[in-house]
Amino acid sequence: MSASQFIFQLFNGLVFSMLLFILAAGLSLIFGLMDVINLSHGAFYLLGGYIGLTMVRQFDNFWIALIVAPLIVSGLGLIVEYFFLRRLYGRHRHLDQVLFTFGLALIAADLIRWRWGAYVESVPGPDELKGAVVIFGALFPRYRMSLIFFGLIIAAGLGLLIGRTRIGAIVRAGVSDAQMVSGLGIDIQKVFAGVFALGTALAALAGVLGAPVLNLYPGLDLEILILALVVVVVGGLGTLKGAFFGSLLIGLANTFGKALIPQFSMFLIFAVMAVVLLARPSGLFGVKGN
Amino acid sequence: MTHRKATIFTRRQFLRTLGVTAGALAAGPALSACGATALTAAPAATAVPPTAALTSVPAPTAVPTVAAPSLKIGVLLPYTDIYAALGENITAGMEMYFEEAGGVAGGRTIKVIKEDEGTAPDKALEKARKLVEQDEVDFVTGIVSSGVLAGVRDYFDSNKKLLICSNAGANALSRGAKTPYIWRTSFTNWQPNWPVGTWAAENVGKKAYISVPDYGAGANTITAFQNSFEAAGGTIIGVQKTPFPNMGDPAPFITELAAANPELVYCFYSGGAAVTFMKAWGELGLAGQIPLMSSGFMVEEDVLPAEGDAALGVRSGLHWALSLDNADNAKFTEAYKARTGKDANVFAVQGYDTGRAIVEMINAVEGDTSDVDALIDALGGISFPSPRGTFALDANSQAPKQHIYLREVQNVGGALHNVVIEDLGEIVDPGDDSKG
Repeated sequence: MSASQFIFQLFNGLVFSMLLFILAAGLSLIFGLMDVINLSHGAFYLLGGYIGLTMVRQFDNFWIALIVAPLIVSGLGLIVEYFFLRRLYGRHRHLDQVLFTFGLALIAADLIRWRWGAYVESVPGPDELKGAVVIFGALFPRYRMSLIFFGLIIAAGLGLLIGRTRIGAIVRAGVSDAQMVSGLGIDIQKVFAGVFALGTALAALAGVLGAPVLNLYPGLDLEILILALVVVVVGGLGTLKGAFFGSLLIGLANTFGKALIPQFSMFLIFAVMAVVLLARPSGLFGVKGN
Repeated sequence: MTHRKATIFTRRQFLRTLGVTAGALAAGPALSACGATALTAAPAATAVPPTAALTSVPAPTAVPTVAAPSLKIGVLLPYTDIYAALGENITAGMEMYFEEAGGVAGGRTIKVIKEDEGTAPDKALEKARKLVEQDEVDFVTGIVSSGVLAGVRDYFDSNKKLLICSNAGANALSRGAKTPYIWRTSFTNWQPNWPVGTWAAENVGKKAYISVPDYGAGANTITAFQNSFEAAGGTIIGVQKTPFPNMGDPAPFITELAAANPELVYCFYSGGAAVTFMKAWGELGLAGQIPLMSSGFMVEEDVLPAEGDAALGVRSGLHWALSLDNADNAKFTEAYKARTGKDANVFAVQGYDTGRAIVEMINAVEGDTSDVDALIDALGGISFPSPRGTFALDANSQAPKQHIYLREVQNVGGALHNVVIEDLGEIVDPGDDSKG
């Protein structure tokens, strides 16, 4: 692999990493605070993508889709949380949660197919980001390049929200001890609902941003869910930092795996996960023993 | 303190569960298809009960005193997951022909019982059993995935039940794993690729890089193309096998392809992977730079609208093209568009031809499906004008003997379509691995 090829693949890897991050951040947040592993996260991703597709077709504007689709999906997230998930909280109900969210994912997949069909759909990126920039004499698509910046902006935004605001402080306190937060007179139910809405919005955001790269088709929801789960496990459950560096590790491992050993690039992801878990059973940034 | 400990334990335990879940999901099709099962019980449940069929259409054969029992056809096609669109297209084409035939074959009312093939061979085998043993169908048709076809092969072989395969192209079923009870109305994977290898070496370039998904159909594509391409003086400078079914972002693969500086790239992707690959190919600035050729499925009419301009100029071989100039194709493509609102594609054609092959076969045995050998004899002997030209089956490979057309993606009146630029002649699978 020549130096220019290496740089080019590095950019490919960063694009994929950032997409993974936006996706996995939502999953990680939901787990961190609510102790719920949301197997319908991939379905929310795909739903966001398809709603984005409809928006783009309707208004011929990618940016509207980028804002509206996550809002709609987070609204659905609120409904799901309020009417169903809320009944399944509790330390001994993990199996119920997994069954419910996986069931929801299957139902969502069928509803999506019913509404949007089984054909592969592609979403054009925004007009402003058409074309390509030149990196070492090769063309790198401007839209893909901008995904790296989107990812970094969202990482910074989430970092500020969780780390520097009052809401963030409540969420962090909730991650440590939800009962104690409740005892301080804060309505933890509302915080839970808010975090679930934020998590699903992030999934939908990833869905819209990812659509011009990965397109939309039945089955993509599960494909993407696996990657998000791997990232979250590798990075450490419930931490934003973990989701970020887990995404980088998995995104880059996947990309260089594809370049060097294409046949085994999917296995490589799981090999990395296994090695990380052996060395650090709680993931890269998981709190030790917690 | 104890409370805290309990939490710790749960989290740890949960982490493990999570890892296992991720692994299980990655093992993939099995789980997803098993979930899909429950959701798709509907089509089977809505099938007309046999009694209703008995009373409806009187048999037009000789003595109409006793109405013949309905002809029960088991249809095993994917209606969920990545191949769902293919299943829908094949079904639409087949049902279209059955309607044209008045819903009758050999004096018996056609009754279709659908089951979801999914993507997992073991689940599909259960469905095949259900169709044969519980629904007591006269024969089964369908099967999109080569993996599923391999998985159900022994069942049909040992039970001497006829399976008319309307898509899956695994070469082995016409060669080493051939059984008299499985015939194909579609193609073998060898067919669309082999003649294109010669054409590519003679007309495009001598140094080719091949990129295919890492599974049976990909392997069949490589051997077929390589065989004729090298025979015509070409050299394969690299072969890239990408993960199947989940390829993810193909940009890293394409970067590697481009760096090798080939005179042409030959690939085979279908469905979502085809669109994703083609779009990334365009975005990375390679469309029009490196000639891209493929097995026809990669730029077939089902994926072409989503691929967009990146696919312009891609040349591919296939046994049909939307623009193929014959009266049956004109009639078929128009009727299909009127029925579904979409342009026809090769899968719909395969469904349509399968429907006609079934009706012709049953007519030939005058509705008597009791003798499977007689049924197979009848199937082997049919021939009729089809949208792809003349439809006839080769007794040796038990697959169609058919022309392969070299097509090019062009802008036809504002939309992208495949235009036939050369007829590569009638191509019959050799029935062994002598030609790749």
